[in-house]
Amino acid sequence: MAVNGLFRVVAVALAALTLALPVLGGPFASTGFGISPYLANIIGQIATFALLAMALDLIWGFAGVLSLGHGLFFAMGGYLIAMHMLKAGYVQQGIVPDLMTFMGWTDLPSFWAFFESFPYALALILLLPGLVAFAYGWMSFRSRVSGVYFAIITQALTYVAMLLMFRNDTGFGGNNGMTGFSRLLGMPIGETSTAVWLATASTAATLAAFLLCGRLVASPFGRMLVAVRDDEARLRFLGYDPVWPKLAVWTLSGVLAAVAGALYVPQVGIINPRLLSPEVSIEIAVWVALGGRGTLSGAVIGAVVISALKFWLTGFAPDLWPFILSILVLVVVVGLPNGLTDLRLPCLTAMRRLRREP
Amino acid sequence: MNLESHGWQAIQVNGLRVTFGDFVAIPNLSFVASYGEIHAVIGPNGAGKTTLLDVVTGKTRPRAGTVLLDGRIDLCRLTEPQIALAGVGRKFQKPSVFEALSVHENLELALRLRPRSILSELRGWADPRRAARVAEVLAEIGLADRADDPAGVLAHGQKQWLEIGMLLMQRPKLLMLDEPVAGMTDAETAHTADLVRRLRAPDRAILAIEHDMAFVEEIADRVTVLHEGAPIFEGQMTDARADARVRDVYLGRH
Amino acid sequence: MTLLRLLVLLAVFAASPAVADRAALSAGLCAPSLGDQIAALGALAEAGATGGAEDARWAQAIVAAVEGRNLRCATDGVFIGEGEAALDAATLAPRPAPAKAAGPPVNNRLRAAAASAAAVLKLFTDFNPAVRAAAVGALERRREALNLTIVDAALANEPDAGVAAALEALRARLLLADAEPANRIAAIEAVAANATLRNRTLIAEALAGETDVAVQAAGAAALAQVDRSLALGRVLATLYSGLSYASVLLLAALGLAIIFGLMGVINLAQGEFIMIGAYAAWFVQNAIRTVAPGLLDWYLLAALPVSFLAAALVGLVMEALVLRRLYDRPLMTLLATWAVSLLLINLVRVTIGTQNLEFHQPFYVTGGVPILGDFIVTLNRLFAIVVAVAAFFGVVALLRFTTFGMNVRAVAQNRAMAGAAGIDARRTDRLAIALGSGLAGLAGVALAPLYNVNPNMGAGFIVDSFMVVVLGGVGSLAGAVVASFGIGQINVVMEPIYGAVAAKVVVLLLVIAFIQRRPEGLFAPKGRR
Repeated sequence: MAVNGLFRVVAVALAALTLALPVLGGPFASTGFGISPYLANIIGQIATFALLAMALDLIWGFAGVLSLGHGLFFAMGGYLIAMHMLKAGYVQQGIVPDLMTFMGWTDLPSFWAFFESFPYALALILLLPGLVAFAYGWMSFRSRVSGVYFAIITQALTYVAMLLMFRNDTGFGGNNGMTGFSRLLGMPIGETSTAVWLATASTAATLAAFLLCGRLVASPFGRMLVAVRDDEARLRFLGYDPVWPKLAVWTLSGVLAAVAGALYVPQVGIINPRLLSPEVSIEIAVWVALGGRGTLSGAVIGAVVISALKFWLTGFAPDLWPFILSILVLVVVVGLPNGLTDLRLPCLTAMRRLRREP
Repeated sequence: MNLESHGWQAIQVNGLRVTFGDFVAIPNLSFVASYGEIHAVIGPNGAGKTTLLDVVTGKTRPRAGTVLLDGRIDLCRLTEPQIALAGVGRKFQKPSVFEALSVHENLELALRLRPRSILSELRGWADPRRAARVAEVLAEIGLADRADDPAGVLAHGQKQWLEIGMLLMQRPKLLMLDEPVAGMTDAETAHTADLVRRLRAPDRAILAIEHDMAFVEEIADRVTVLHEGAPIFEGQMTDARADARVRDVYLGRH
Repeated sequence: MTLLRLLVLLAVFAASPAVADRAALSAGLCAPSLGDQIAALGALAEAGATGGAEDARWAQAIVAAVEGRNLRCATDGVFIGEGEAALDAATLAPRPAPAKAAGPPVNNRLRAAAASAAAVLKLFTDFNPAVRAAAVGALERRREALNLTIVDAALANEPDAGVAAALEALRARLLLADAEPANRIAAIEAVAANATLRNRTLIAEALAGETDVAVQAAGAAALAQVDRSLALGRVLATLYSGLSYASVLLLAALGLAIIFGLMGVINLAQGEFIMIGAYAAWFVQNAIRTVAPGLLDWYLLAALPVSFLAAALVGLVMEALVLRRLYDRPLMTLLATWAVSLLLINLVRVTIGTQNLEFHQPFYVTGGVPILGDFIVTLNRLFAIVVAVAAFFGVVALLRFTTFGMNVRAVAQNRAMAGAAGIDARRTDRLAIALGSGLAGLAGVALAPLYNVNPNMGAGFIVDSFMVVVLGGVGSLAGAVVASFGIGQINVVMEPIYGAVAAKVVVLLLVIAFIQRRPEGLFAPKGRR
C-alpha cells in the first residue's frame, strides 16, 4: 500500500537524520556536505514541530477530536524544562535568573522547589501535561462535549493560560518569559556541540514517537479510534464506552506535545506566553490539515513543509508570512480536503505518464 | 431454570413516561416483548416509536416507569454501553457503520468476547474464535467478497446488512430494528426480510419499528400499534388491519 | 473677634451709598490696630464681591496697593503712591499726596489677609477659569477670611462648572464649620443629600474635629446614608458598564449564534468583522469630514448602515469563496475562518497601519448624566446599549415575522425537509451569513467610541463571544441575551477585584463546569436528538 510506503520513507528519513546529525554536524560540520550548527538547530526545531503535529494528528486525524489548544501542552513542556534550566543554573552556578532580578525576589517561589533535578523536571514534563489533559478530557468526553464545542473550549483554555502567563505575579516570568539558560544536563546552551546534540535528540524522539504511534494506530486500538471518529453512537451501542479510548489517546497526545515543547525550548533559548496564543495552536492544526489527517506521515510532512517555508520566508519577508499562511490554509481546506495526500494520486499518474512517454 | 427461552418475557416496559420539555412524547406506555418472537411496533410519525427505542437503549431517560430486561435488569439505570453488554442490540434508521474501517474490521469490533474492559478486549483481539465468527457472519450477510473493502464504499443496502451483521456478532438477547428497510429496493427488502427471519432464535426477542406494512406482515409474529405514545392495538397483523381504530389513525391513510 | 469686627463694619457700611463706601472702606485700612486693618481688608473683599464688576476692580486695586506697600495714610484721605503721581484711593483719580505720609505697617498677618482678599476678588475679575480655580484653592486654606455672602456671590457669578463645584465644596465647609451646632447639623444634612464621594469626605473632615454630641450623631447617620447611596451607586455603575460590554458581546454573539445554529459553522473571523465595522465607521467619519464638515457629529449614525453592509459584504465573500464548500465539515470551517481572520488583520495592518484610530466624539456620546453617587450614565456606553437593544429587537422581528426568518428557522431545524418544502436553503444560508456578519459590523460602530480600534481589536472579543454562544446554546436568541449579560457582568464585576485575567478564568471555568451538566447550553431546544 502507498500509505505504508510513505510511512517507511518518513521513518527512514528520520532515522537517517538521527544518525547523520552527530556525524555531519560534528566532525564534518565544516566540509562541503556537513551540517552547520545553524542548520542543525533548524532541523532540530522542525523535528519538534513534526512531533507536535503527530500528537495532534493522533487525536484529530484518528479519533476525530480537534484540539485548537495543543499549544498549551507544548508550552507546558517548554516552561517546565525552562524552569529546570534556570533553577539548575541558579543552584549550581549561581546565575540569578532574569525574572528574579526583574521581580526583585530574593528567592524563587516555592513551586520552583526541586526543579534543579533533571529527573524531577522530566517526570513533571510527562506527568503534569498528562494530568491536565486527562482532567479536561475526562470532564469533556464524559459529558459528550465534542466537535466544534470541544475545539473552541480548548482554544479558550489556552487563551486563558496565555493571559495568566502574561502576568508577572504568577511566577513564570510574565511577558518576558524565561531566557538566559546556561546548561542542560551539563552541556552549555548555545554551543555548537549542544545544538547538534539537541537536534539529534529531537529527531530521535520524533522517530521513536513516529514508530510508536505507527504501531498504535495499526493495532486494534487504532481501529477503535477510527470507529470513535466515524460513529461514536454506534460504538456505544456495541458495548464500548468511547470515553476511555478517547481519553487515552488525548492524554497521550498531550504528553507527546509536552515532550516536543521540552525539546523545542532549549533549542530556541527562550519561552514566553506567545507560545500560548491561539495562532500557534491553530498553526499546528494547519500543519496536520495540510499534510493530511489520519496519516502520521502526513502530519510529519505537513509540519516540515510549512515550518521550513516559514523559516525561509521570515528570513527576508516576515510581513508576507501571514498572507501566505492564510491563503495556504484556504486553498488546502477548500481544495484539498485530505491535504497534500490529495496531490499524491495526480502526481503518481503524472509520473507514470512521464515514464510511459519518455 | 432457563429464563431466556421461547415464550418468556424478554423485555417489560411498565408505566413509561417520556417528556421533552413541555412536550409529552409518551404519556404512559406498558408493553412486553417475548423471546423467540418478532414483535413489530407500528404507528404514524410522532407516535413515539423511535423514542421507545431510545429509552430501551439508554439514549433517552424516561420521566417515570421501568424497562426490565429478563424481568430483573432495570435498563433505565444503565449507560448505553452497559445496556449493550447486557444484551440489547440496536440497528439505526440510517445505516450506521464505521466507514473508514473495512467490512471485516467492522464485524471484528462488534464482537465482545471479554465484556469487562476495553483493554482486555483489545489484548485478546487475535482470539481465533473472533476470526471464525467473522467469517461465519460474513457468509451469512453475503458480503464475504467485500471483506477487505472500506465500509464507506458499500451500497446503501449493503451497509444495512453489514450493520445487521454487526448485530449478529453481538448475539443480543433483545434486537431492535429501526426501520430496517427504509430506502431499500424491493430486492434488497426481500433479502433483509430473509436476514431478519434468520435472526429469529429461541433465546432472542426482536423488536422492529417499520412503516412498510408488507414487510411487517412478512416478518412479524405480533404487532403493537402506537398512537400518540399509547398502544391502541396489540395482536396479529391481520387483526390489526381489521381494527377500526387502527384503520382510523394509521392504516386508513395508506 | 475678627468676625465680630467684620460684622460691625458691615453694619456701618451697609446703608451707605457707593462712593462714600469707598472712602470709608479705604480709610479702614488706615485704622490704628492690626485687627481693624484686617477686618477692613475683609470688608473690602466683600464689597467687591457683592457690588458689581466695577466695585470688584476697585477693591482689587486697593488690595494690590496694600500688597505692594503702596498705600499711604494721610490726614485728608488715603492715597495710592507718593507725591504728585499719587491716586486717591476712593476714586482712583490722580490727587497729589502730602509728603511723608506713611502706609500701614505690613506684617505677615496683614499680608495673608491681603492675599485672601486678592483671591476673593480674582473670582470676580479674572477671565481665566484656571486662575479662579487656583484662587478657590487658596481660599480653601484660609477659610476664616471668608463668609457665606462672598461665596454665594461668587457662585452666582461663576460660569465654569469645575470652579463652581469647588466653590460648592468651599461653601459646604463653611457651613459645616458654623459656630452654631444646629446650623452644623443642618449643613451636614444638606451636604449628605447629594451623595458623592467628595461630599462624604467633606462630612468626614468636619466630624473629625467635632465635639458636640448631637452633631456627631447626625454626622454618623449622614455618613451611613451617604455610604449606602455610594455603595448602591457603585453597584449600579458596575452593572452599567457590564451592560455596555454585554451589549457589544451580544451583537457579536448574536451573529455567531445565527450562523452556527443554521450551518454549524463557527466563524472565527467574527472578531475581525467587528474590526471591519469599526474601520467602516472611521471611513464614514473621514468622508463626512471632507464632504460635509457641518454634519460630522452625525457620522456614527451614518456609519450604522455602512458598517453593517461592509461586514455583511465581507461575510458574503467569505461564504461564496470558502464556507459554501465546507458545510458538511464543521471542523474545517474553524481553520478556514481562522485563515480569513488572519488575512483580514494583516490586510488592514498593511494598508491602514497598526495604530489606534482617532474617532471624533460627537455630543451624543460625550459626557453623561449623574444618577446616584458616582454612578454616571455615560452616553458612549448608552450608545452601545441602544444600538445593541435596537439590533436585537430587529433580529427578533426579522426571525419571527418575515419569510426569511421562517426559512432560517425551518432550515436550522431540518435542512433536508426545508429543502423539500421548497425553501432555497443555500440562499437562506447566504442571507443569514450576511445578517450575522452585519451584526458584528454594528458591534464595531457601537464600540468605536468606547474601545481602542486597531487591527488586533477582534481578538479580545472573540473568546468571550464564543463563550456566549456555548453558554447560551446554539441558535438561541434568549440564551445569547442571558449568556452575554452574565458574561459581561462577570467580567466587569471581577475585573476591579481580581483583574481582567481572573475574570476570564472564572468565565471559562464556569462555562466548562456548566457544559458538564448541560452540553447543549442554557436554552437548548429540547427534543429528540
